[in-house]
Amino acid sequence: MYEIIEGFIEAGRLIITLDPDVMTIAARSIIVSFIATITATLISVPLGAAINFGTFPGRKGLINLIQTLYSLPTVIVGLLIFLLISRVGPFGFMRLLFTPTAMIVAQTVLVLPIMTGLTISALSGVDPVIRDTLHSLGATRLQFLINVMKEARFAILATVAVGFGRAISEVGAAILVGGNIMASSFMRSTRVLTTAISLETSMGNIPKSIALGIILLTIALGVNLAITMVQHR
Amino acid sequence: MIDLKSVSKRFDDTVVLRGVTARVERGEIFAIIGPSGSGKSTLLRLINLLDTPEGGEIRIGGSSIHAKGDQRLRIRRMMGMVFQKPAAFSATVYENVAVGLRFRGVGEGKIREKVGDALDVIGLAGYGERKARTLSGGEMQRVALARAMVTEPEVLLMDEPTANLDPVSVGMIEELVLQINRDLGTTIMISTHDMYQGQRLAHRIGVLMDGVFAQVGTPREVFTLPTSREVARFIGIENIIEGVVVAAGSGIAVIDIGGTSIRAVSPFGVGEEVCLCIRSEDLRILRLSGEGDIPGKNSLPGTVLSIAPRGPFSRVAVDCGFLLTSILSWKTVDSLGIEEGEEVFVSFAPDAVHAVRAAQG
Amino acid sequence: MLRRTLFTVAAVMVAFMLICGCIGTTGPETEKQQLRIATTTSLDDTKLLNHLSTIFEEQYNAEVLVVSAGTGIALEYGQRGDVDVLMVHDRVREDVFLADGYGINRRVFAYNYFILAGPESDPAGIKGMKPEEAFATIREKGMAGESGVAFVSRGDASGTHAKEKAIWKGAGFDYATEIQGSGDWYLEAGKGMGETLTMSNEKQAYVLSDIGTYLAYKGDLDLVTLVDEGDILLNVYCAMQINPAKYPDINSEIAKDWVNFMITDEVQEEIASFGVAQYGQPLFYAAQDDWEKIGVPQTEVKDPIP
Repeated sequence: MYEIIEGFIEAGRLIITLDPDVMTIAARSIIVSFIATITATLISVPLGAAINFGTFPGRKGLINLIQTLYSLPTVIVGLLIFLLISRVGPFGFMRLLFTPTAMIVAQTVLVLPIMTGLTISALSGVDPVIRDTLHSLGATRLQFLINVMKEARFAILATVAVGFGRAISEVGAAILVGGNIMASSFMRSTRVLTTAISLETSMGNIPKSIALGIILLTIALGVNLAITMVQHR
Repeated sequence: MIDLKSVSKRFDDTVVLRGVTARVERGEIFAIIGPSGSGKSTLLRLINLLDTPEGGEIRIGGSSIHAKGDQRLRIRRMMGMVFQKPAAFSATVYENVAVGLRFRGVGEGKIREKVGDALDVIGLAGYGERKARTLSGGEMQRVALARAMVTEPEVLLMDEPTANLDPVSVGMIEELVLQINRDLGTTIMISTHDMYQGQRLAHRIGVLMDGVFAQVGTPREVFTLPTSREVARFIGIENIIEGVVVAAGSGIAVIDIGGTSIRAVSPFGVGEEVCLCIRSEDLRILRLSGEGDIPGKNSLPGTVLSIAPRGPFSRVAVDCGFLLTSILSWKTVDSLGIEEGEEVFVSFAPDAVHAVRAAQG
Repeated sequence: MLRRTLFTVAAVMVAFMLICGCIGTTGPETEKQQLRIATTTSLDDTKLLNHLSTIFEEQYNAEVLVVSAGTGIALEYGQRGDVDVLMVHDRVREDVFLADGYGINRRVFAYNYFILAGPESDPAGIKGMKPEEAFATIREKGMAGESGVAFVSRGDASGTHAKEKAIWKGAGFDYATEIQGSGDWYLEAGKGMGETLTMSNEKQAYVLSDIGTYLAYKGDLDLVTLVDEGDILLNVYCAMQINPAKYPDINSEIAKDWVNFMITDEVQEEIASFGVAQYGQPLFYAAQDDWEKIGVPQTEVKDPIP
């Protein structure tokens, strides 16, 4: 018990004094997961739209598959990306292993299914009367797509929040393809909040782990609050 | 303006429309009435290109709507549609009304002008910046009407636009429909399950039953001269009696109903099986036989079965060998002093009886 | 309104990223050579590597990226060409790795001893025994179900795990059949040295550890050293290059610099004195003058790679 209280006090100190080590790790976490989420959004929204509006054989099966992949274990994604970008893997020549880029790739792959699936849900959740109204107002195919997406914008925004939350909180893939490196330059290091918590806990640095944990929670909470606020405007 | 030729449609195994044929004139308000599930919405959706018919042809302004690509879009843009469920885009009222104009690439200045005018017309001037989703159902439906009309379509389709609204909002929408038709000459096709709304608004009414138009005519024709037993029942004629013509001549026929004779205006010949439609409002109840009051009037003896209140009226059921119901004011019932089980006479003029061929039913 | 909010959020994010990016990659740092090292956890957990790489980065204007893993994974990374340098401590597997042509230019830079740690109460009564004898006793008591007798193994194919297996073999047991899965007394952590020590501490179990990590963690542990003498406990650390013949675009120059750096007099002194101030004893011994004692050829401790 004492250890926990002490941990929280130390955590507070690390956060209030903007401990450079802790802040750097937090910043890197946000950047990596933010880029991964944006990348995934750029893929999942058009992909989700294509699947939602498209008619092709196997569409139902594809949606089922995507939903199954919601619970894709992060270490499986980590392993897969590791095998692909490792030197002897097919993309080894890009020398991505143990870089933040590798983590971005892994997190993007990780959140793609859930973001695509939720985008499909968001779009199919748009009132059929709204769709009919758009058609009857003489929308072209493109105008129709844009406006249905506009109607689903809050649900899609929530999708982005879910994706970001999953990306920033995963540890399995980050540690496998990132390597938890603490280098002297910011962009070469791959230590993020989750891998750092894992490491610090294993090294017995409980206060630092708690501080990092609080920051991780705060970020996740902050993103969700921001999204909720936008949705309620 | 709108030509329907043997339009048919089915969803999976359910046949919804089985050959609808009709013609709606330019500048006309045409109401489609019919029971739920009769295919009213489906027909409007087919015209608006929201669904594709199985068979038949639909033409608007002379050209077939079954086109592809640009032509299809051009035809659709000749129409506006208001749906049963009030639905607004998640945007301001202004943006909601402006959508159709934006689709057509209209300039911002022109849009502002037109949307402003439209909001004036629907009585929501000053609501432009409100979020449309915060409006009441009635207001939302008026916005939907403005949204459909702001592009000045030649044809306005309305699918039970007042079905979910309060009476005041219904009145406002009806007023707008009449105003649009009068001022802009827009051809309007409106479906409703409220036949009196059809009566109030329409120049002509089509009664859609079982996937076809059972009758098309002016409101007066439809409500007084239904062409079939089913139409008669639908438009609210309570007394529908089957019988056989036993004598005919000079427009008045005598119809035998299980031993009782009724004189009626009828074009049918002797021996034909007919259905007699008599409006409850046209039946009078007398304590004494009124025979001879007016020559040729029907006066049938019977027993009062029940007296039930119905709004400001009473509905009196009398057994005359067959059931006849009459709608009387409370005052009349009181002054007659009739009670259940009493012997009375039911009296009505031959021209209150409308005969239709029974075989059609 | 919505658009403005989103735009603001995006703008803040972008600005933030730019700032961080600038802090992270100020000026010529982008020109720096990168050296990727896969290391056994003990060198990283003790912070020795961190200490040495700071010196190296200054001298060579390079950036050292350290991936800390067990010797087994480190060798795997090396075999796949994902790193430039390996720093491991498993002579047998190193020899295979070199023979297979994946590694070259091995240099031994440090050594220390493994220790057998356990709860102060020493329920198996092994204090002061020879390592093999102590292991056999733990197994015997553990198999007999004596309460409180448990052993936590790294179980991760690391150098320490390899050493543990060697001791079981020396004690006359077949690891796969007589130790692994032989009972509740034998636990495999599957984690790094630090985590394994923490786990042993929670379970009050016996554990084989390198002395360096043990000392570094000692403050947080209730475990004491019970066995620390015996030739078999010798722990020899080496650095080697990944063979550029296998992976031609590997950074072999800076890798060579690093391996040579490790056997310079300066670094050898750093190694010998590292941790003395903090723990009262060195975590590692310099290999330079003790090559005979630790049984490696003189060339591996003295001769820089040409």
